[in-house]
Amino acid sequence: MSDNAVSVLERLSQRADQAEVFGIDSESTAVSFEASKLKSFDVSQTGGLAARAMHEGRLGFAAAGGAGSEDQLIDNVIESARHGDAIDLRFPGTSPAGGVEVYDPRLATLPADRLIEIGQEVIEIIRSADDQALVSMDLERQVRRTVVLNSSGARADEEKSTLSVSMRVEKVQSDDVLMVFRYFSTARWNEDYREVAESLAESLRRARRQATLRSGRMPVLFSPSGAVVLGLPLMMGLDGKDVYRGISPLAGRVGERLFDDKLTLSDDPTLPGRPGSGDYDDEAVPRRRSSLIERGELRGFLYDLKTAAQAGVEPTGSGERGLFSPPSPSFSNLVLDPGTTPLKDIIAGLDEALLVESPLGLGQGNVISGAFSNSLSLGFKIERGEVVGRVKDVAIAGNVYEDLQHIAALSQETEWVYGGMSLPYVLLPSLNVVTKA
Amino acid sequence: MRDMLSAALKASRADYTEIRIEEREASRVSFRGPELETASTVLDKGGIVRCLVRGGGWGVATFNDLTDISRRVEQAYEGARAIQGELIDLAEVPVSEDRVTVPLEQDFRGVPLTEKRRLAAGYNDILRTFDPAIIDTSTSYWDSFSRVTYANSEGTLVEEERPMVNVSVSAMARADGNVQRAFEGVSKVSGFGAVLGHEEMVREVAERAVALLKAPRVKGGRYTVVCNPKLAGVFAHEAFGHLSEADFVYANPQAQEMMVLGRRFGQDILNIVDDGSIPGLRGSHKYDDEGVPAGRSDLIKDGVLVGRLHSRETAAKMGERPTGNARATGYRYPPIVRMTNTYVDSGDTSFEDMIADVELGIYACDAFGGQTALENFSFSSAYAYMIREGRIEEMVRDVILAGNLFHTLMSIEAVGNDFEWADFGMCGKGQGGGLPVAIGSPHIRIRDVAIGGD
Repeated sequence: MSDNAVSVLERLSQRADQAEVFGIDSESTAVSFEASKLKSFDVSQTGGLAARAMHEGRLGFAAAGGAGSEDQLIDNVIESARHGDAIDLRFPGTSPAGGVEVYDPRLATLPADRLIEIGQEVIEIIRSADDQALVSMDLERQVRRTVVLNSSGARADEEKSTLSVSMRVEKVQSDDVLMVFRYFSTARWNEDYREVAESLAESLRRARRQATLRSGRMPVLFSPSGAVVLGLPLMMGLDGKDVYRGISPLAGRVGERLFDDKLTLSDDPTLPGRPGSGDYDDEAVPRRRSSLIERGELRGFLYDLKTAAQAGVEPTGSGERGLFSPPSPSFSNLVLDPGTTPLKDIIAGLDEALLVESPLGLGQGNVISGAFSNSLSLGFKIERGEVVGRVKDVAIAGNVYEDLQHIAALSQETEWVYGGMSLPYVLLPSLNVVTKA
Repeated sequence: MRDMLSAALKASRADYTEIRIEEREASRVSFRGPELETASTVLDKGGIVRCLVRGGGWGVATFNDLTDISRRVEQAYEGARAIQGELIDLAEVPVSEDRVTVPLEQDFRGVPLTEKRRLAAGYNDILRTFDPAIIDTSTSYWDSFSRVTYANSEGTLVEEERPMVNVSVSAMARADGNVQRAFEGVSKVSGFGAVLGHEEMVREVAERAVALLKAPRVKGGRYTVVCNPKLAGVFAHEAFGHLSEADFVYANPQAQEMMVLGRRFGQDILNIVDDGSIPGLRGSHKYDDEGVPAGRSDLIKDGVLVGRLHSRETAAKMGERPTGNARATGYRYPPIVRMTNTYVDSGDTSFEDMIADVELGIYACDAFGGQTALENFSFSSAYAYMIREGRIEEMVRDVILAGNLFHTLMSIEAVGNDFEWADFGMCGKGQGGGLPVAIGSPHIRIRDVAIGGD
């Protein structure tokens, strides 16, 4: 793949003012469990090249999966550049970066038998909470090699090993359906999947009992996976592209104190062993930690090369891409700094509250405006300092730009959720809760 | 290609082997505001092998290096052997040998990028120049032409072309801190001509985005809701359709009890159907990704659950008829049970009669999205109006319907006589990227729906 990339870059450079080639090659082994039984075994090898070219001040893009279509790829990118819009963009030269650990030979060579054992361990943990639970699970070990080369002389090679485990339990009792899921991923071997499975088991235990909750305003505690409701609008608002286009409510407000001073949010691609980390982004720009919100004050946004060129700012090393689409600004690891209160103390201090674990309808509605309105697929009632049972038919609504001005507490515990977000429990003092009761 | 596949199948040591090869060419032109984001063409090709051995499980190999398919068959075979599982049976289906070509009038592969760009720019300009309140637009043209070759060790060998041409437009309007969005799309199994001439639709999108700025937030509560055909179609797909996919129930006895055939789900007026064989729709194909002919499946008939959607594996396990609903989002994935074109069949109530006796209700239109966790669902309508004393009145925004599936299906109290297909639909079940589906419905009326809001 890398040889192909070098030859495409050479040939493309002869036909364009600037050129860039992105090559990707990944191989993976995966096993799936269905209804707690091993079901399938999957090996995969895929790769391809994407290319960009600047020609006469215009930017073009093309991509091809597999090998053997290089001539057409080059023709397509030149054709694309003829139609591109004018932009003043310069592919970056070499800059030193290094040391972020994302490759672990123990993961890269993890045998399929071990994946199956991990699956069985997870099932055992979950069954300690419910011996009838039917577990669906995908476990994947992947090695992904990428290379970014450009005509300014940059070359960024990356080899990343990841292990991911997604686990789900569906429990049906007459017309009652309970769905609990967790996702674990790492770029460095560890056994934290056990903790993640324990946490799923704990949710199953909590869900055994049901509780009823009144409608109205009350304190709402978001678990790390529930807190994604609050994170999603911020992620859109902090995307340099939405800022440049003027649709982010945060545009033009850097330096203002917009949130509670407990809120410190960053994007951190330098964390070792995380799948979202790396030395360079997918445009060969060195990655670095970006401070986005510091003690409630807005500090900055995320940019890729093109958006930074348009906005007239420095790129933040946040350009990410799949094979078939051009780069765009993306979060690597979103980190919400933890607070100082132990979770058990937060819960102990609540007289009547809702604990949000998994929201439905994420990303629907007018997310960029900050608004959220979600029914819950899993939520619990907290009463007199204890989680007393699962509540059904509950919805929450609010707007992060109003509701994050007052945060009652952040837990000192954090969890990685959805692969790339490290979040604590978030307690909001008063939110609108609608229930059937 | 055919000879290569036949040779690889013949050499396989597995009890059952299938190979699917996909070649795809796709082009895209998209604008964001005044700027062209991309005008590009991408190429992809690759394949997937699945094997079964007695007493094993599924062994799968995916690849996009096509030089040595026999080696991939061997890998999949080894994978299948590595599993000590329950016996997996596949329902019997007829052996098919077929080559399906889709003749296109004005094949989009022959249309130069310049012309595709001109089309998208034209629609984009309508949005941009409509009103100064419109601060951002997204306009995309894209097409995709796939050729899927499927062969299995039972002798089925089918080649099928799957073309699709699309336009989508979206406008974002802003007044102070209030940002509103409206969108619309066209998607056809058709040539380039199908995406021409939609200027009126684009103007309506611009108009709606601006109108939404002035619309107040809906007041939360429980209402009688009239859903327009697009929203009702999304509801049928999201809230009910996914439960009718047999992979949800076939390994779970409690789920089978919940979804037992013969159970009443709605009033007599409710009929829900999935049909992958209707020509020209997004979810249609002659064969699914197991080489099984697509067909019509009644899911709810006269309010009663009468069928579900199957792959060959789920059909065998449940002793039901395979329905041709095993679909994959591309060669990177094995097929799973998916819907095709899912619709609520026509009833006999006119729209006028449907709203005439509603004292206070909501007319909810289109969908920003929908999600279901089986019995619970949530979807947001793209725009909506209050119904007062039998008349459609002011526009309201942020109308999000949430509730319990069983309760809500039972509460459908009128089905319209004005059936429509929605052109647009993507289903995000499992697997990366969306799978094209079509949804359809007439207007429907549901009583007692929980609406979030202030």
